[in-house]
Amino acid sequence: MKNFDSILAAYLAGWAIFFLYYVSVSKRMNTLRQEIERLKNSLSRSK
Amino acid sequence: MSLLSNTSALLGKELRTEVRSRELLTTTVVFILIVIVLFSITLHPTTSESQRLGPGLLWVAFLFAASLMLQPCFLREQTNDTLSALRLSVSDPFAIFFAKMAANTLFLLLTELLMLPFFAGFFNVRVLPVLPQLVLVLFLGSLGIAVPGTAFSAISSQARMRELMLPLLLLPLLTPILIASTEVTAALLEPEPALRLAGLGILVAFDVVFLTALWLFGEYLLEE
Amino acid sequence: MKTIAGAFALFLLIAVTAYLAFFYAPIERTMGPIQKIFYLHLPSAFSSFIALGICFYANLMYVFKRQPKWDWLGVSAAEVGLAFITVVLVTGPIWAHPVWGIWWTWDARLTLTFVLWLLYISYLLLRSMLEEPDKRALFSALFGIFAFLDVPLVYFSIRWWRGQHPTPVIMGGPGSGLEPRMRVAYLLVWGAFTGLLVLLVNARFKLEAMRADLEELQREVEVR
Repeated sequence: MKNFDSILAAYLAGWAIFFLYYVSVSKRMNTLRQEIERLKNSLSRSK
Repeated sequence: MSLLSNTSALLGKELRTEVRSRELLTTTVVFILIVIVLFSITLHPTTSESQRLGPGLLWVAFLFAASLMLQPCFLREQTNDTLSALRLSVSDPFAIFFAKMAANTLFLLLTELLMLPFFAGFFNVRVLPVLPQLVLVLFLGSLGIAVPGTAFSAISSQARMRELMLPLLLLPLLTPILIASTEVTAALLEPEPALRLAGLGILVAFDVVFLTALWLFGEYLLEE
Repeated sequence: MKTIAGAFALFLLIAVTAYLAFFYAPIERTMGPIQKIFYLHLPSAFSSFIALGICFYANLMYVFKRQPKWDWLGVSAAEVGLAFITVVLVTGPIWAHPVWGIWWTWDARLTLTFVLWLLYISYLLLRSMLEEPDKRALFSALFGIFAFLDVPLVYFSIRWWRGQHPTPVIMGGPGSGLEPRMRVAYLLVWGAFTGLLVLLVNARFKLEAMRADLEELQREVEVR
């Protein structure tokens, strides 16, 4: 196929951007979730 | 009308502050000269290129200078918290903005007028035949720079890295001003000067849109 | 887990749009298969405009209602919009280079897209420089409003500017000469991209809501 590497590069780059963004959001959510759990536990313990 | 009287009182204060120190005007003029020299050295334009590139260079230099010159606008109200005093002294908070905007427009316009002889000399263009029209473009352009510039000065004065934030916020937004002012100025300085009404229209539209926006939202910028 | 469901939805969207673009839609006559980048490039552009609109609406709502959820929506829409515009700016040159021999040119559409990208980035950078949450929400909302009002002005001024200095337009109008199957494929892919937009904004919104929860908890802990 003519210009196949360009098509591949464009689609890979494009979807990589969306995918990496989603992954970064998910990772941050997990970190926050853990932190929230930790704080909730320490609050309930000190009650 | 109280807005007008409030504004003129504050405007008087702004102008008097500047006249007393005079630093803003002189440093801005020198800065623009430096920018022009640097660009001219690196691009080393021929005479015809000078006439083609001149207006663009001039307006870019004005934009850079403005984004520096607008910094102190709200920053200096932070020492001694004079902003609170200002807020108490007026019934309409928009008057504070209006006064600062008017003062900034005047300063910018004055700086640009002072630059005109240098511009005419360095770039071999004839400004005298089209002086009234040039002043019109300079005024509309300066207003366009000063209105969002004053607003963003209020915003960036409360942010970290404020000296970088103001140009960062202001310059992309001023794209229409840069484009329209450069085109109209260039057309006025051609061998057969012409007044590009579409360009003036863009400048007027920009000024109206942002003056209205500031009138609607300005008070929120002054919130504690 | 919800995030795995989200990731699965993402994969599904990729698969569906890839099928539509590569197998359902016919190969374009002049450019050949590389035209298929169009099915990624253009829906991203449209989705970024939708994101911009959502951001503007959220900004207005925050200024008038001051509910944190509008601030969360604003930043989510802005970040996701930035992702979409980045895809446009990355896929465009990859498409352009084999076909027209250049990576970039300052024609109307490209210049506008780049300025839009800069405005999005300024919005997000401003937020990172404002530390106090209420101030950050208010000031970024105000900047967002000004930036959005600027967009039509940027569009018209750039179009006028390129009208004065025409350059060859490297991509003909999007709807020009689309065969029926191409049009169907494009509409379906665009629908899928709207779904992608919703998915990403939703995820980011939840993240922001969680961050607010965390701050609330941290304040509670400090009080004890």
